[in-house]
Amino acid sequence: MEKTVVIPTDFSIASLNIVKSYVSMQPANARLNIILLHGLHQSDSIRSLLFYSKHRMMEELCSKEFKEACYVLKNKFASQIKTMKSDLFSGFTQSAFNQYTEANNIAEVCLPVLYNPKFKNKNSFDLLPYIKASKLPVEMVGSEVDVPMPEKGKVAELFFNRVSVS
Amino acid sequence: MKMRIQIKTTLILLTAFLSIILMFSGFVYLSVSNYSYEDFYKLLEIRAVTTAKVELDQEGGSQEMIALRNEFFEKLPQEKDRYYRISPGESFKNEAEELGVPISFFNEIVKEGKSEYTKNSMFYKGIRYKSKQGEYVVIASAQNYFELHHSAYLRRTLVFAIIAAFAFSALIALYFSRYVFRPLRKITDRVKEISSENLHLRLDNNSNNDEMSDLIGTFNNMLDRIETSFETQNNFVSNASHELRTPLTAIIGEADVTLSKIRTTDEYIETIKVILDEAETLDRKTKALLFLAQTGFNGKTQKFDKLRIDQLLWDVKETIEKINTNSRIHIDMSLLPENPVKLKIKGNEQLLHLALSNIISNACKYSNNNVVNVSIGASDQNVFIIVKDHGIGIPEKELKYIYDPFFRASNTLKYEGYGIGLPLTRNIIRIHNGEILVSSIVSQGTTVQINLPVGKFEE
Repeated sequence: MEKTVVIPTDFSIASLNIVKSYVSMQPANARLNIILLHGLHQSDSIRSLLFYSKHRMMEELCSKEFKEACYVLKNKFASQIKTMKSDLFSGFTQSAFNQYTEANNIAEVCLPVLYNPKFKNKNSFDLLPYIKASKLPVEMVGSEVDVPMPEKGKVAELFFNRVSVS
Repeated sequence: MKMRIQIKTTLILLTAFLSIILMFSGFVYLSVSNYSYEDFYKLLEIRAVTTAKVELDQEGGSQEMIALRNEFFEKLPQEKDRYYRISPGESFKNEAEELGVPISFFNEIVKEGKSEYTKNSMFYKGIRYKSKQGEYVVIASAQNYFELHHSAYLRRTLVFAIIAAFAFSALIALYFSRYVFRPLRKITDRVKEISSENLHLRLDNNSNNDEMSDLIGTFNNMLDRIETSFETQNNFVSNASHELRTPLTAIIGEADVTLSKIRTTDEYIETIKVILDEAETLDRKTKALLFLAQTGFNGKTQKFDKLRIDQLLWDVKETIEKINTNSRIHIDMSLLPENPVKLKIKGNEQLLHLALSNIISNACKYSNNNVVNVSIGASDQNVFIIVKDHGIGIPEKELKYIYDPFFRASNTLKYEGYGIGLPLTRNIIRIHNGEILVSSIVSQGTTVQINLPVGKFEE
């Protein structure tokens, strides 16, 4: 059973905890394509559009810890996760989002119960309104309690079951 | 002779400057004088032709020609125009002697039609001219005014220019070499200040990404290593005794308790087993410490074997539970990779055992034997070991001192300890090219993350 899932991310380790909880809820024979989606408005100046590179943008947004943590998850769920990639969504309209989900054959969206993303880039925007309006099935994971943790921002954050983005 | 590199650079620069200037001015001088000679010969030829026309072709317009010549032709210094008739079978020997020119000059004019000759800045130009009366040799001679005035002026100018350029380039070369070597001098001065008493001093690296900052970075790195080994050397005795005490305490305690009354044979056997166990631990630690002391911190002479982190962790857990029976260690395998190859690293088992048991037993100690979570995970590059306790934590301001030998956080007064375990652990992790990250919130807990590079083994 193969399906593609969108999980909104702010490129923090905490957002990867959603992936962890979600995948561990799936049946053992599931084959998942996970897209970690980040909303980012493109600059409308001609110069920055001319030199725009998605790869470079991703390098800027993804920290080394984030990448390492992605690999930890991939290794852990090696048989369940077929692919896992991060992507940028830069559309302005609902139909752009619908088109994105259609083109990528998205079956489901996974959201944490406590959703409060923190964006590092000023052009980032919240995908929640688009997800809500898209009528895609939404899976909620995690709990509503938020405890302060010492290991914020480190790979260690991934190892403890706390699902919220804050 | 020891020559300062700065002076050497100045000299090299100066030589380069000077040779370019000399070449340049030589070229200018030669080409200008060459051009002026040619120009002067042309001028003389025109004079000769005019003379021939005026003197030999005495036609109707010759009166005007003479007037024109006198009006517009500037008299050259010592200008003389002569003409001789060419009669066959007769040589110009006498004329040549009179003029002080070789006979070949006349012969060439007769044969080739024109010739040039120079003697003591007197220039001669001769042509063969065919007039109505017959053929003539016409010779115009004059002193070269360029040779007289211009060339001396040009030479003077060039010499002045060379001297000025030399002085100027000397200044530039001196300034340049100063400028280039200033950071080097700074580094030297700063390094001179660093001795074994103040090894904590570092060179400040404020320049941007150039070769100098590379050098400074390398220097600082070296100082880091020197400082580490210095500290370990200094504290080796304390380190060693700290590490050796734990099993010794266990041996003494066990023996004491057993000796307090007469026991059964089984009980003696049990006791001796425990003592043997602890003695073996002691032996292992002694070996590891000896290792540490002998090999220093270059990470090359260590014997590195293949080992699996999860097995090592179970061993560590067992050891700690033996020493401290109240400890509650929970090894969390929830992020264990499916492929066990990813958990294999290259390392020294005794040293890593020592490092991990240090971290985990500290976690137990400072959380009053609360549950300590130990998790393992692996990415493609690193193996992660995360030790998390819910203990007293470390005050944020003191976090940066935790690797200093004998440093103990202000909230650890009621706990026993010497402040040696963590620096030792960090040294061991460093030998393995790993990383140790400690984050903490006071009275919430501490998380220690250890990253060790995955050993790349071919399967």
